[in-house]
Amino acid sequence: METKDRQNAWKRFMSIRGVGQVVTVTAGLIVLCIVFSMLSSSFYSERNVGNLLRQIAPILIIGIGQAYVLITGNIDLSIGSVVGMSCMISATLMTKGVAPFAATMITILICLGVGVLNGTLVAKCKVPPFIATLGTMTIARGVAQIVNNNYNTDAIGDSAQGFRNLFYYGKTLGLYNTIWIAVILFLAFDFLLGKTRTGRHIYAIGSNMEAAKLSGVNSVNTTVIVYVVSAFCACVVGLITCAIAGMGTMDAGNMYEMYAVAAAAIGGISTFGGEGLLVGTVVGASIWGVLQNGLQFAGAPVAIRNIVIGTIVVISVLLDVVIRKNKPRKKAKRVLPVQVGSAK
Amino acid sequence: MGEYLVEMDRICKSFPGVKALDDVSFRLKSGEVLALLGENGAGKSTLMNVLSGVYQKDEGEIRLFGKTVEDLNPKKAQELGIAIIHQEMNLCRHLSVAENIFLGREESRCGVLQRKDMNRRAAEILARLNLDIDPAEAVGNLAVSKQQMVEIAKALSTDARILIMDEPTSALTMSEIDELFQIIRRLKGDGCGIVYISHRLEELQNIADRVQIMRDGRYIASMNFADTTMDEIIANMVGREITEKFPRISCPRGEKILEVRNLNAGKMVRDINFDLFAGEIVGIAGLLGAGRTETTRAIFGADPKDSGQILLDGREVVIRRPIDAIRGGIMLVPEDRRKDGLCIKLSVQSNISLPNLDMLSNRFGVIDRKKEKKLSEKSIQDLNIKLPSSTVNVATLSGGNQQKVVVAKWLARNSRVVMFDEPTRGIDVAAKVEIYNLMNELKKQGIGVLFVSSEMPEILGISDRILVMCDGKITGEMEIGEASQDLILKYATTFDTKSGLPEAI
Repeated sequence: METKDRQNAWKRFMSIRGVGQVVTVTAGLIVLCIVFSMLSSSFYSERNVGNLLRQIAPILIIGIGQAYVLITGNIDLSIGSVVGMSCMISATLMTKGVAPFAATMITILICLGVGVLNGTLVAKCKVPPFIATLGTMTIARGVAQIVNNNYNTDAIGDSAQGFRNLFYYGKTLGLYNTIWIAVILFLAFDFLLGKTRTGRHIYAIGSNMEAAKLSGVNSVNTTVIVYVVSAFCACVVGLITCAIAGMGTMDAGNMYEMYAVAAAAIGGISTFGGEGLLVGTVVGASIWGVLQNGLQFAGAPVAIRNIVIGTIVVISVLLDVVIRKNKPRKKAKRVLPVQVGSAK
Repeated sequence: MGEYLVEMDRICKSFPGVKALDDVSFRLKSGEVLALLGENGAGKSTLMNVLSGVYQKDEGEIRLFGKTVEDLNPKKAQELGIAIIHQEMNLCRHLSVAENIFLGREESRCGVLQRKDMNRRAAEILARLNLDIDPAEAVGNLAVSKQQMVEIAKALSTDARILIMDEPTSALTMSEIDELFQIIRRLKGDGCGIVYISHRLEELQNIADRVQIMRDGRYIASMNFADTTMDEIIANMVGREITEKFPRISCPRGEKILEVRNLNAGKMVRDINFDLFAGEIVGIAGLLGAGRTETTRAIFGADPKDSGQILLDGREVVIRRPIDAIRGGIMLVPEDRRKDGLCIKLSVQSNISLPNLDMLSNRFGVIDRKKEKKLSEKSIQDLNIKLPSSTVNVATLSGGNQQKVVVAKWLARNSRVVMFDEPTRGIDVAAKVEIYNLMNELKKQGIGVLFVSSEMPEILGISDRILVMCDGKITGEMEIGEASQDLILKYATTFDTKSGLPEAI
């Protein structure tokens, strides 16, 4: 009896939408961890684990932002540039003597502006998201370059030591602050997506825009919200990047939008919209981080790392596509009577 | 008139839950125009889809040009000389006329497209049809009627001898229709056989040689057009016994709930005026494309309005978006459940709660899962939706149960007016009756029910009052007592712009 109950509980757990994919990739993550610990004895050293988690954190944060956008069926290509913009604006302000707190707030406000612009272009002006965010990607990178007259900034100085500790070097309860930031953002945004009306609207417009609109969902506002979340996440990563180097670099965050897609897609967020659990993005970002870190430990050159990681991204999304392709075929038969009924 | 081009005998075709064609026979001779008539859902399109190889017949025999043909598929049908010209055009707007005509059969030499050759051959075909169209012109730049001609030219370029035209005139103006008829006569003279499907009975006198009438997936009659009258045709089309059960309850007509005044929204909603009272069901009848769906969408705020007023309980309400209508208590159960009604990737529960999230969440927007579960389980029970649990994906449900989920979405909250758009399309009889009962239940509660349907028996069986639309206007209104199928059909074909058709030449 007991085993039957347990089986049912497992079945029920697996039947929650999106759980299957998360379980699969988690298994993959565990396998990777075992392989790398066999390849290198110091993979599990306390030092490396701390570093590894700190490497995963920024990828997770931008992954959360991209996951939000992907669930609505859109994409945000401006993430990397917003990271660079955030890094450059905050650093420039601090080198000009603005207090770190004020600099942080100003930076966040400007970055949120990019999110509002993205969302408005896509939802209100109906610019295809790929093009709209390609444009803002280029613009944001231009802003990153112009704020300090096309130079990286000087060191943000001793007055910003608190800022650097808060975002990267400090530890709280034995864990690096960066990890805490990622955890807090994940919990907050997972709550927003899973437990609130806004979150439900995000899934609904990603699944069927027309049905959502007819159900009274404000699709423009919802789309703006996901782009603002994405820009906010990118902004935070920009601040972290600034804290790491202690200066602003113009090409910070280069290619991050793609890493964000990778983290979300590996974690089972459908690139077609409407599906996916945010917890999958944690696993996706972890796989990304573990591969980077583990391959480095195992002594693989950068080129090999890139090839392996690229392959994994394609394979995980390919699995998603294959599963999807097999599903509707079953449905197609069921659709037929509907078409007959509507025949003229 | 010559030999038989098509002989179809005792064709049967079933889809899960529906017998679309039941023992239907069909003949087409060379050099004749056969008008295939019947109401929506009579099986005309299904029969033609069997003939053109889109669907496989379950039983029966098909002979083309006197030879028995098995395993017909679209490609084989095309090779045998069958061409179907669809109601909605299947042309690539950005490609040229010639490119469209030879699409998929492009001529190339050593892999290089022979553009000149194709343009020349396209010009020949167009000349044969007496058409003044430049083969190099992009199709999107042509008028709709010319596009239709390109479709025909495309069909002829495959040396088709059997042409099926499905509602070819629905997008055309009077003079364009005239032009089309001339081409049809020319093709007839060349020995082609033409199957002509149209809801515009008044057009038939200009071209039809013979008519075949279908109803409910069955063959009803076929006769020479000259030997029959329009009345006889209509009687054959609609004159069925209503076999489905239509539960009717009577309740006193109450207060006026909804008043629509001079509503205009685009081409398909023109100057709509009507009232809706508590405790009545008003059916909106009409042919496809009469503007019925557009009217309900405009009222609901799904499409922008150009002008007009909507009064709810005597007070004007401004509805710009669906949410305004929902807040006011006006609900719309949309027509196409896959396109407009359901988020197919979400669970049944999420779908039911989607328009009701404001009632299910606190002021911070956090959803109360217990309330949500309670609401969806209550709706599932009320509507007798059969499913293992409320968390299953809606995609796994049958059509009837999916439709019930769409309805459930809208009945979970207090409403004043519920508009149903084709609520029973594509669902089985038992599920239909459940939907009717539900509409009656709403009526009993004093809610105004408006429903759009293309099924005559349903309109006559359920409504207390009937509005008939044609071409974006309300052309008739009647109490159920005075309504008849003939009367509805008459109003439904009252076209004001195209009524004066050219005389036969």
